[in-house]
Amino acid sequence: MTSTMPDTTAAAPTPKSPGRRTDLRSRGEPALWGLGGALAIGVTMILGFLALVLANGIATFIPKPITVVTEIGGTVTAGEPFRSEVFKPTPDVIAALSPEWQARIDAADGFARRTLYRVGNFDLYGEDFRWIPDYAVATFAQPKSLMFVERMEWGPFVGTVKGFKLDGADQIFTGLDDPKFAKIHDESRARAREIRTIERSRISDINHTLESARLELRKIEMQSGRSSSAYAAAEAGLTSRSTALQREYDTLAAEVQKLREANATNTLTLADIGGREKLIEFSALVRLYPANDMNFVQKLRVYFLRWGEFLTGEPREANTEGGVFPAIFGTAAMTLLMVIVVAPFGVITALYLREYAKQGRLVSFVRISVNNLAGVPSIVYGVFGLGFFAYVLGGSIDALFYPERLPNPTFGTGGLLWSALTLALLTVPVVIVATEEALAAVPRSMREGSLASGASKWQTIRYIVLPRAMPGIMTGVILAMARGAGEVAPLMLVGVVKLAPELPIDGIFPFVHLERSFMHLGFHIFDVGFQSRNAEAGKPMVFVTTVLLIGLVTIINATAIIMRNRLKKRFAGSQF
Amino acid sequence: MNIKAHAAVRLDNGFGDTVYHERPGSGGPILAIDNLNLWYGAAQALHGVQMSVEKGLVTALIGPSGCGKSTLLRCFNRMNDLIDGLKITGGIKLHGEDIYDRGADVIALRKRMGMVFQKPNPFPMSIYDNVVYPLRVAGVNDKTQLDETCERALKSAALWNEAKDRLDHSALGLSGGQQQRLCIARAIAADPEVLLMDEPCSALDPIATAKIEDLINDLAGHYTVVIVTHNMQQAARVSDNTAFMYLGRLIEYGDTEVVFQTPKSPKTQDYVTGRFG
Repeated sequence: MTSTMPDTTAAAPTPKSPGRRTDLRSRGEPALWGLGGALAIGVTMILGFLALVLANGIATFIPKPITVVTEIGGTVTAGEPFRSEVFKPTPDVIAALSPEWQARIDAADGFARRTLYRVGNFDLYGEDFRWIPDYAVATFAQPKSLMFVERMEWGPFVGTVKGFKLDGADQIFTGLDDPKFAKIHDESRARAREIRTIERSRISDINHTLESARLELRKIEMQSGRSSSAYAAAEAGLTSRSTALQREYDTLAAEVQKLREANATNTLTLADIGGREKLIEFSALVRLYPANDMNFVQKLRVYFLRWGEFLTGEPREANTEGGVFPAIFGTAAMTLLMVIVVAPFGVITALYLREYAKQGRLVSFVRISVNNLAGVPSIVYGVFGLGFFAYVLGGSIDALFYPERLPNPTFGTGGLLWSALTLALLTVPVVIVATEEALAAVPRSMREGSLASGASKWQTIRYIVLPRAMPGIMTGVILAMARGAGEVAPLMLVGVVKLAPELPIDGIFPFVHLERSFMHLGFHIFDVGFQSRNAEAGKPMVFVTTVLLIGLVTIINATAIIMRNRLKKRFAGSQF
Repeated sequence: MNIKAHAAVRLDNGFGDTVYHERPGSGGPILAIDNLNLWYGAAQALHGVQMSVEKGLVTALIGPSGCGKSTLLRCFNRMNDLIDGLKITGGIKLHGEDIYDRGADVIALRKRMGMVFQKPNPFPMSIYDNVVYPLRVAGVNDKTQLDETCERALKSAALWNEAKDRLDHSALGLSGGQQQRLCIARAIAADPEVLLMDEPCSALDPIATAKIEDLINDLAGHYTVVIVTHNMQQAARVSDNTAFMYLGRLIEYGDTEVVFQTPKSPKTQDYVTGRFG
C-alpha cells in the first residue's frame, strides 16, 4: 500500500489485479474434489463388499485344524475354532472364577472373550457348535489322530477312527493310506451311487410310465365315460401294464436291497473325543481327513474336492451341505428364458413407441408409466405373477390341456415359465427405455438416406435403424438380465422352492418342463442363511453361494457384452 | 439463346413479380411446380412457388439461408413428409402426375428421384452394399444384376477406380469426398429420372468439390439434376438454369448466365453482387 493512496482504501479489500490466479470458485476444483470423492466412496463400498464376500466365500472350503479344549472342570471338547467375540459374563459367573481371571475381566470393563467351536457330532451332542469362554480353558491341544469326517447325514463328525469292517470282517485301521480302506470306500460309494441311479431314474421312469398310463385312462374316462368299451379296454390295458411294471419294480427293488445289504457289511467305527462310539456305513462317508496332520497339497486337494462337490452335487442336510448344482441350473435356465421373452417384447414395444406411434400426450403418458413400472416393488410383481400367470393363465391351460390331472395343478401353480414371465415383466422397462434411447440416437441422416433410396419405413428400420441401435439394445438387455438373475422376492411366490426333486430339463419327454418348480441361487442364500435348522452352519454356505451367484451373473453379463461388441463390430463393418 | 416467355406470377408483400427467362431443355419440363405453399406449423416457408424443371438440364436453387430452397428440393421427393405439422397447398407434377395426390406411391416416387444430402451419409455397411441398397430394398437379389449396377453406378460417380478393389470394405473407411461420391453412386444406382442434390459440397474440401462438380457436369444430360447450393460460383459453373429464392418466394428463375451477369430483378442483382445474403 503506497502512501499516496487515500486512507479509506486501506480497509477495503484489495482489488484483484488482472495477473492474479483465477478464483477457486470459478475454477471448479472444489466441485471436482466432491465428485471424485463421491466416486471413490461408491467404488470403495462396492469393492469392500466384493472383498468381504470373496474372502469369506473362498476361505469356506479350506480345511481347518481341530483344537481339543480341556476345560477347568474337566470337560473335553474337540472342534474347529469358528469365530470368537467379546461378551459380558453375568456377575455370578464372574464370582465363581479365580481371582486372577476376575481381575482380568474387571480390567476389561467386565468383558471376556469366548470362542465358538464347530464340534460336529450332532447325532451325539444335539448341537453343532459350542461356545467356550477363555476363562474356562485349562489346556489346548491339536492331536494328529483327530479326523474331520464329512458324512451324508447328521453333519460332520469330529473324532478318531477305531476300526472298520470289510464284508463283515473286522479290520485294524492303520491309516488313510491303507489301500483296503480306500477300496472299500470307493466301492461303497459306487454302490450308493448305483442305488441312487436306480431309484432316481429307473424306478422314477416306471412311476412316470404308470402315471401317464393312469392319466390316459382318466382322459378316456372323461371323454367317453366309465361304461364305454374304450374305457374297459384301456382299463384292462392299464391293469396288465401295471402288473408288468410292478414286476419290473420288484426286480429293481430287490437289486437295491442287495446293494444296501452289501453296504451294511462295510462299516466304519468312529469315536468322539470323549470315547463315545458311532458306527457309520462307508456308503454314508463323503470324505475324512486328519485335520491336524496334513501338508499343503493334501489341504489343497480337500479344498478343490469340496468345490467340485459344491458345484456339481446336490444339496443335503437341508441345503446347508453338499452342492448347489440344481440351483445354478435353475438360475441359468430361468434367466435365459426371461431374456428370450423380454428382449423381443421390449424391443417391439420401444419400436412402436419411438418409430410408429404419433408422439403426443398419450405416448408420453405410456412412456412415463413404463418408466414408473421400474419402481414398483418386486414382490408386487410376484403377487401379480402368482395371481395372473399361475392361477388365471395356468389354471386355464390346465382346464384346457390337462383336465385329467386336476385337481393337481400342472401349470396352475408356480413354475419356471411363470417365474421367467414375471421377471420379464419386471425387467421390461429397462429394455424399453434403453431401446428407445438407442433408436433415438440413430442419426436422422441415415434414415433419410434410406428413405430417399426408395426404402419403406419398415425396410429402413430393419436394415438401417435396428442394426445401428443394436449395441444400445443389447446394453438394455444386459442390464435387464443382471437385474433378473439377482431377483429373489417375486420368485418365492411364482415357482422357486427350497428343494426341487427334478431339474426343469431332463431326459423325459418333452425334455423341457416349463411347469416345474426350480431352485435358485438367490433363494438358496435366503434359505440357507435364515431358514435352516442351524444358521451358524449355513453361514459359510451363504458366502460361497453369494460368490457363485455374483460369478454366474458376471459370466452371463460378460457373455452378453462380448456378443454386443461382436455385433458392434459387425454392424460397423459390412453386412446387409 | 432462346428465352421463353412466361406468364408473370404476382407475389405478395411487395416482392413484385417472379421473373422468368429459363432455358428450355430438349425434353421439355419434367417437374412442374404449381403455386406451391408450405407451412411448418404456423410458419409459412414457401409462398406460391411456380416453376418448371427442364428435363436433362442442371437447375440450381440459390438464395440466402432460410429462403426455402432446401424445403423446395425436399418437396420433390416428399422427404418433408417426415416432419410433423407440415401443410402443403398447390401441387408438383412429375411428367404430369401430381406427386402429392392422395393415391400417389411415395416409395415409387422416391425411386424415381435420387437424392444426395448435405453431409455424406453412407450406411454402416460395405461399399458394395451401400451402392446396391436401393435395388435390394426394391427386391432385386440377382447377383449379376447387382454387380453390374454397382459397377455402372460407381463408374458414373467416378469412384470405380478407387473403390473396385475394396468393395467389401466398410464405406465408413472412405474419405469425405469419396463418401459423397458413394452417396451419388447410391442415388443413381436405381437409375432415377431426377437427381436431387442438397448442398452436396458444403462439407467437402475444394479438391473433392471440384471432383463432384465435374461429376455433375458429366451426369447432366443423362439425368435431370436439381442442386441446392450456397456457393454462387458453383451454381454458375455447373447449372444451366438458376432459381433465386428469397424469404420463401421465387424471385427470379432463368438462364444461369443471365441470372449471374444481367439479372432482371433488383433483388437478384443485390444477391449475386454480394450486397446481401
